[in-house]
Amino acid sequence: MNMVLHELKAYRKSTILWTCTLVAVVVLLLSMFPTFARDADQFKSLLKTMPEAVLKAVGVQIETITTILGFYAYVFMYISLCGAIQAMNLGTSILSKEMREKTADFLLTKPVTRTQIVTSKLLAAFISLLITNVIYLAAATIMAMVVKNGDFEMSKLMMISVTLFFIQLIFMALGFFVSVLVLKIKSVLPISLGTVFAFFIIGMLGATTGDGAIRYFTPFKYFDPAYIMQHASYEGPFLWLGLGIVVAAIAISYVVYRKRDIHAV
Amino acid sequence: MNLWIREMKAHRKSLILWCIGIIAMVGASMSKYAGLSMSGSGASMNELMADMPKSLQAVMGVGTFDLSKASGYYGAIFIYLLLMATIHAAMLGANILSKEERDKTAEFLLVKPISRSQMLTFKLLAALTQLVIFNLVMLGSSILLVSPYSHGESVNQDIMLLMVGMFLLQLLFLGIGLAIAGVSRYPKRAVSISTAILLITFILSIAIDISGNIDWMKYLTPFKYFDAKHVMYGGGLDGRFIGLTALILVGSLILTYVGYNKRDLHV
Repeated sequence: MNMVLHELKAYRKSTILWTCTLVAVVVLLLSMFPTFARDADQFKSLLKTMPEAVLKAVGVQIETITTILGFYAYVFMYISLCGAIQAMNLGTSILSKEMREKTADFLLTKPVTRTQIVTSKLLAAFISLLITNVIYLAAATIMAMVVKNGDFEMSKLMMISVTLFFIQLIFMALGFFVSVLVLKIKSVLPISLGTVFAFFIIGMLGATTGDGAIRYFTPFKYFDPAYIMQHASYEGPFLWLGLGIVVAAIAISYVVYRKRDIHAV
Repeated sequence: MNLWIREMKAHRKSLILWCIGIIAMVGASMSKYAGLSMSGSGASMNELMADMPKSLQAVMGVGTFDLSKASGYYGAIFIYLLLMATIHAAMLGANILSKEERDKTAEFLLVKPISRSQMLTFKLLAALTQLVIFNLVMLGSSILLVSPYSHGESVNQDIMLLMVGMFLLQLLFLGIGLAIAGVSRYPKRAVSISTAILLITFILSIAIDISGNIDWMKYLTPFKYFDAKHVMYGGGLDGRFIGLTALILVGSLILTYVGYNKRDLHV
């Protein structure tokens, strides 16, 4: 328990900062919605004069994107990018910082097992992500209420927002996994940024070209807002895949960390 | 000169990794293009897109690019290449200075018979060399990998122009990274701060796309300085923004030299 508290304290500033960032981003982007909806309305009247085929091709898309939910789903892509960076950073640094800052020997001479260390660090990371998400969820909901142009289903908005937590958990577990496998991490940011952006760009490529299979390769696309809006549920296979990745990464981390050499001073 | 060689060697591995990343990225996206076929109603589609308000175009993810041409597709993915390049530049700039303190080698370096300014100059040169290599690899792989899909359309000139814009932004973010590492009293945070600035300006550029009526804010985000749409469809590189980039770059270099010469180093 001491370890959990200590970690939470050590990451207090960064958690607060990231939470503020996420809230700021969602407020900024959602505040664009009223003007956006006005622009789009004008365009929609123009759309009616278009040939049938074109209407079919883009009509539905435009219908969704001009509702607050559809717009939020678009904006959410960038929010999940920020969230993923936070989570990956947290996951990668929380174990490896002991070695980087030469505090590993201090920690390991305490009467706790390595398993306990890993558990409390994971728990601390989990709690700090949870706090971020609770505050974010509140901010997103309030902001959506403020800018909405019609009724929308609150439960779907919640469901989309909660996927931020899922994505963060996946990236946190990945970061944890990486930090256990790599022998010495000099600085965390290049690793986490590289990984997150690589996955993000893969996801964007898939979106531009409309390729379905590519979705399996990037956590950013595991929880498709369009599907959630339509069915009010998550896609089973991807949910399991995400869970599988988290469990596997954490399980391997435990096994490896118990066995590996820890460089002391 | 020794310092330059030392820095190049120290960054060799990461530069090679980045270059592989570039080639994989350009290759993967262009191979996706091969599978992308526009629907039959291409002409009326383009017409419709042209009438769409800017904000809606941005959200729909097409922009004004004509995706039926290789050049249009390249323009659409260019923002991601740009993002890669600027991340590299910002991290390099912040890292190349702050790593001495992080790895506790600052003491060793500073007892050598060179001034801090000399040290900065060589580090700057090493970073510059790497940016040039990065840019050339990007240019080469783009030209080579786009040409099979261009069907005789001349894309090389567009690509070269875009690469010049990219290089300017690389320089800009390198300068910002250096300035932060040079001035900041907490060198450990230099890399985080410069990537934070990068991320904020990126999000801002997206907000500008969506909103459509805060165009004046594009002076605040380098990602809008050399917009691919503008550069490719007749606009070229905007003189005002070249000037602004140069101004920021010179400013941040002055800040770096002055700040680093005066600062207490953590050893």
